[in-house]
Amino acid sequence: MKYVIIGNSYAGLSCADAIRRFDKTGEVTIISDENYRAYARPLISYYLEGKTTDETIWYKDDDYYEKNNFKLMPGKKVVSVDTASKKVITMDGTKLGYDKLFVGPGGTPFVPPTEGFNPESPMMGTFTRFDDAKKMERAAKAAKHKEAIVVGGGLIGLKASEGLRGLGLHVTIVELLPRVLGLALDEISGNMTAKRLNENGIDTATGETVTKINLDESGNPVSVILKSGKELVADIVVVGVGVRPNVGFLEGSGIKIDRGIIVDKTMMTSVKDVYAGGDAAVIYDVINKRPNIIAIVPLACEEGRVAGTNMAGVYREYPGGMGLNSVEIYGLPIVTIGLTNPADESQKVYIFQDGEKVYRKLVYDGEVLVGAILLGDIAGSGILSAIIRQGLKCFKYKDEFLNGNIYSFVIDNEFEIYNINEGYAIRGDFEDLPEFSRTNWR
Amino acid sequence: MNKNKLTNLKEDLKKNQVEIMLYPSKCDGCESGEFMACVKACETHMREKYGSKYAGARINIKKKADKFFPIICHNCEEAPCVDACMPGARYKDMETGWTVTNYKKCIGCWMCVMSCPFGAIERVGKDHFAAKCDGCIDEDAPKCALACKKGALKRTGIKNYSYERRLMVAKKIYGPYIKSNIKG
Ligand SMILES: Cc1cc2nc3c(=O)[nH]c(=O)nc-3n(C[C@H](O)[C@H](O)[C@H](O)COP(=O)(O)OP(=O)(O)OC[C@H]3O[C@@H](n4cnc5c(N)ncnc54)[C@H](O)[C@@H]3O)c2cc1C
Ligand code: SF4
Repeated sequence: MKYVIIGNSYAGLSCADAIRRFDKTGEVTIISDENYRAYARPLISYYLEGKTTDETIWYKDDDYYEKNNFKLMPGKKVVSVDTASKKVITMDGTKLGYDKLFVGPGGTPFVPPTEGFNPESPMMGTFTRFDDAKKMERAAKAAKHKEAIVVGGGLIGLKASEGLRGLGLHVTIVELLPRVLGLALDEISGNMTAKRLNENGIDTATGETVTKINLDESGNPVSVILKSGKELVADIVVVGVGVRPNVGFLEGSGIKIDRGIIVDKTMMTSVKDVYAGGDAAVIYDVINKRPNIIAIVPLACEEGRVAGTNMAGVYREYPGGMGLNSVEIYGLPIVTIGLTNPADESQKVYIFQDGEKVYRKLVYDGEVLVGAILLGDIAGSGILSAIIRQGLKCFKYKDEFLNGNIYSFVIDNEFEIYNINEGYAIRGDFEDLPEFSRTNWR
Repeated sequence: MNKNKLTNLKEDLKKNQVEIMLYPSKCDGCESGEFMACVKACETHMREKYGSKYAGARINIKKKADKFFPIICHNCEEAPCVDACMPGARYKDMETGWTVTNYKKCIGCWMCVMSCPFGAIERVGKDHFAAKCDGCIDEDAPKCALACKKGALKRTGIKNYSYERRLMVAKKIYGPYIKSNIKG
């Protein structure tokens, strides 16, 4: 069996691991248009800050590819997929035949039309790849006034700002929405976050956009003009508005695309033997109860694994995922889970706030918890994620959750479940019982 | 004495080991609730192992009313923290099957804290890493299980386990009418 995987990142590697679990001999080829082995994409901002280095940014062990017998083809851009003759065609003309194909190309940065923006300039760019981070590292050294403008106050914009700040620049975030992390946070938590940023040398211009970038004769930025007419000095301009599925190269392949790649429950696309996952795929959103693109790491891994399992011939369904995220902004941990800004009147919101230190928000739909924001104190937030994802009824725990006693749910429920059948193994290694024997999951 | 006696713990452990068994209802928080033997043992061991940087207990006792509950990594088959970990600091150890951590890689994004359904991962804000029980895989026996004298955390083997379970279920069903001769 010949497996080809497009995308050497979370979705692609999780797929490769799943294939290897069930198919020890199949030929697995992983293609990437980047010249690196797999690295941790979201860590490129930590790289600028120096918290991650050239040694620790790699996602897998050094001998990962050899050990699992994966063939890596770095630096090869796929330009089209011929699903009729089952071939992947790369930029340099190589044709690669496959029996099963996984498409996990992630996202491409979205750049809103802005006068003067030129990604070719060494002082301007987007922020999603390792090369982008290296470019910014060089740009920061060349910056005369140590002033940077980041367009977009979402997760990528925030991380880019933190990275640039770490390089010693003064940063201004320009965000269209009235607050940073506008889609995930509400007003109070957004303001708390903004305050943290401001205290640490990152300004926030919310409700604003960049209408024009003024350039010098060599095409590098000197200043930006905002919607309000204000002019800000800028040595560096980074656009980190968000990503869109990277599906341009699938045109003409017959694979159904509606914003992202459409997949069924087994993560197979509309074309047989072609699977997809990660930031490029449209999956079922269990909170909003509709197909959605959710670009986060945990879901990319889950989707890749389900796809890989099916590709290796073991049937498995993906029940869908939900959006959740976690960041730390200068010592303030932020966790957002599920639906955090309900539009529906029937969904009730409960809030707890302790000054500037702790903030908790719960969103209930009837008895079911559908979303949460935790700032400052995130202990036990995983329990909330599990509750929200499963749609468990837990209204009677409302006050305890608000006060931070999230563990109380586990204690009650574990006792309910385990008191009758008390005693359960946390780890079993029963050599003569094959169904319990050691697993080789990653 | 018959060598293959069901409850021969030593034999059983050697052949079919189960490193940690959890019996939550037996945990009484070591009475006072302050001196928790398992937590202390883990803390000491972690300090020995990692020095000051990645120290701190990986097990925690949570209390609700008069119930105590040891919060510890349950070692999920497809662990959500492994999926969530962006740098790949958490991974499955192929040899032992434990979900373990390479603390050098952890950058403190708290994706795993947000994903653990048992709440078993702790954010250590001061040193900026996420602490989780890694199963004492390089030890003979987990320190917490050795320290617990109440039988809430126990080392046991599969045969002992099934024997105990049988007696336990029988006891549950027949209640006070049956007298079992097993202690602990
Ligand atoms: C700055 C930043 C911060 C982030 N922070 C977080 C966070 O805190 N939490 C979180 O959950 N998520 C975060 N994300 C999102 C996260 O990075 C993505 O969800 C994740 O990387 C998706 O993985 P993927 O496998 O789908 O695709 P990607 O990681 O985007 O990988 C795509 C792969 O496909 C390859 N590829 C693409 N096109 C081609 C082609 N034509 N030919 C050959 N190969 C191709 C690429 O080389 C790459 O290897 C962040 C992203 C960024 C950029
Ligand atoms: S806090 Fe550390 S171990 Fe947890 S997901 Fe982030 S990097 Fe991985």
